[in-house]
Amino acid sequence: MRIKIYIAAMLLSAAFVANLLFAAGGAPSKAENFKLKDYNGKEYSLSDFKNSKGIVIMFIATQCPVSNGYNERMARLFADYKDKGITVIGINSNKEESAEEVKIHAKEHNLNFIILKDPGNIVADKFGASVTPETYFLNKDLEILYHGRIDDSRRGDEIKSQDLRNALDQFLNGKKITVTGTKAFGCSIKRVGA
Amino acid sequence: MKSRLLFPFLLVTLFSGFTTIDTINVTQINSAKLTKLIKERKGKILFLNLWATWCQPCREEFPSIVKLAGEFNDVEFAAVSIDYPDEVESKIIPFLKSNKAVFNCYVSGFKHDEDLINLLDKHWNGSLPATFIFDRHGKKVAFLSGKQSYDRFKAEILKARTGK
Repeated sequence: MRIKIYIAAMLLSAAFVANLLFAAGGAPSKAENFKLKDYNGKEYSLSDFKNSKGIVIMFIATQCPVSNGYNERMARLFADYKDKGITVIGINSNKEESAEEVKIHAKEHNLNFIILKDPGNIVADKFGASVTPETYFLNKDLEILYHGRIDDSRRGDEIKSQDLRNALDQFLNGKKITVTGTKAFGCSIKRVGA
Repeated sequence: MKSRLLFPFLLVTLFSGFTTIDTINVTQINSAKLTKLIKERKGKILFLNLWATWCQPCREEFPSIVKLAGEFNDVEFAAVSIDYPDEVESKIIPFLKSNKAVFNCYVSGFKHDEDLINLLDKHWNGSLPATFIFDRHGKKVAFLSGKQSYDRFKAEILKARTGK
């Protein structure tokens, strides 16, 4: 009986600490594995990509003008890094954007990477993702090496700093990632209950 | 005769310092200007809203802010749009006019979005809308992330007013 109470207390404490971490707005240093389906209903697990050198996770949207401003850049990022061992995964956590809408949007904008639908924004909550586009770069051990914007300008012709690409290039070249976190304006992820 | 001349004169004098729907002026705000806006309180608390025309939740909560600005004369209301400066005439002013917003409105003139974000709150990740309330001494007393209701805004203003 005592052991059961002790375990329950430990679990509660762990949950409390985890909640504190997320409440503080800090991204977890290591991503938890998750399972989500893509817009065709095919299920993927994050651990499916452990053979990649690294994984880029991008929280994206179909209706957000900022995210849409990055469509071409996201498509190019996937094309440029797919043969370098980097997996690119898009996640749509917006409650108002259906899997069918995500599918049509991906086709229209040549987003040829895997795009998963996150019903109930469970994965967005786990990552602490708030806006679109918001990106995370993970190594194969699912450690988060970079979190933030794709680059420093919503306008493609005014980019001065390719933050996500810089992180990927430094990682692929075996160098230390110099900038591991950035911020940018974006559309809020439309969560359930919000 | 004198009173007939005096009345228009009084009207002009009374409203010359006010922004009206026809005279909405959106100027660029940079780090120095924003810091000055926050610090120079002159006894009033500051309600500062960050928004963009492309941000639907921002557009949805904006009428509540306009309504509150009409109700609280002792609170300074200001809005900073993070649209681009070259979108003032085409996007920002038409939206402000349609909402009858006559408080001070600015457009971000920050070279990097991150500088504006960090100036207002280092814990803010940049999601819009966002609202900050500063007390009469320029001290930040509230940071509201995401779309808020009229009641929530009002409660936060009342709290900032009483200092509780």
